[in-house]
Amino acid sequence: MTKALIDLHDVELAALAAAGGRREFGELARRHGSAVRGLLRRMGAQPSEADDVAQDAFLQAFEKCAEFRGEGTFASWVKRIAARLYLKRKSRNARYVAEIESEETAPVVDTPGLVDLDEALKALSETERLCVSLCHGAGLSHPEIAAALKLPLGTVKSHVKRGLDKLRARLQPEPAPYGRTSHVG
Amino acid sequence: MSADEFDPFVERAFARSPRLPDEELFAARIETRLASSTRLRTVALTVAGLIGGIVAVRQSLNSAVDLGTASASATTPALSLGRDLQTASYDAQLSVQPFLDQVGLSDMALGSMGGMSLFWLGTAALVGLAIAGAMKLSQEI
Repeated sequence: MTKALIDLHDVELAALAAAGGRREFGELARRHGSAVRGLLRRMGAQPSEADDVAQDAFLQAFEKCAEFRGEGTFASWVKRIAARLYLKRKSRNARYVAEIESEETAPVVDTPGLVDLDEALKALSETERLCVSLCHGAGLSHPEIAAALKLPLGTVKSHVKRGLDKLRARLQPEPAPYGRTSHVG
Repeated sequence: MSADEFDPFVERAFARSPRLPDEELFAARIETRLASSTRLRTVALTVAGLIGGIVAVRQSLNSAVDLGTASASATTPALSLGRDLQTASYDAQLSVQPFLDQVGLSDMALGSMGGMSLFWLGTAALVGLAIAGAMKLSQEI
């Protein structure tokens, strides 16, 4: 008896997709589409652009499905493909490198107790956001990011560090109110 | 929270991504694009196969027509190869001829094409169909 698609593991689905199974690949896209599109949005892509890039990434993943050996998760694998495609698209626009030098951090609206990553990412500059998302969202190493963005390795590291510092400040859980000592004179 | 604790925290936060309401539609779009690209590929391969088959049939017919007219004094490798092909074609005709005689097709003619030419044409068409069928089947699996 054949298992229903929903019962199959990602690795099994990927193996079937590598043999040309479109329905099996559709199930993978259903499972991980949101994660891939979410990452692209976190990298700074507009929703429609994120959807286009995610679609292209999934189509490319279908062509390369035989290369997926299940060493990492399928979602991470497609996320890496999507991140690279997005960077390629951005570099084609040829405005990105110029922006890096002159960009400023987006104005931050202070909302104490904020723990939402998507909101917290808005506090980062475009490059910081991109570097942090590539590093912690797509799983790219610092040298890989440096090569992809054509930036010096040290610059990438400092962007990631600054970005994480800002995120920490935004995502840090608020101390419990009863833990505070208030002295009213 | 220290930096060592914060890095995995951020990674976990990135891994948690909200499910988008149109994920079914997104997956359906991908399946549609995959289907259309597969169709395009099938059509392209079939057309390429047909063109190749037509060229092969034409060459076979030409060599059959030229049979016996080649000069026996040919010495260049190209001509020698051509002569070998003609001989092979002639041998194939000799082996097929009794079968055609048996089924009464040896005298059949269509326009300027004789029974043997029609036989080769039919064979090429069957091979083309078989290739197209195999390709279609491989796409479906």
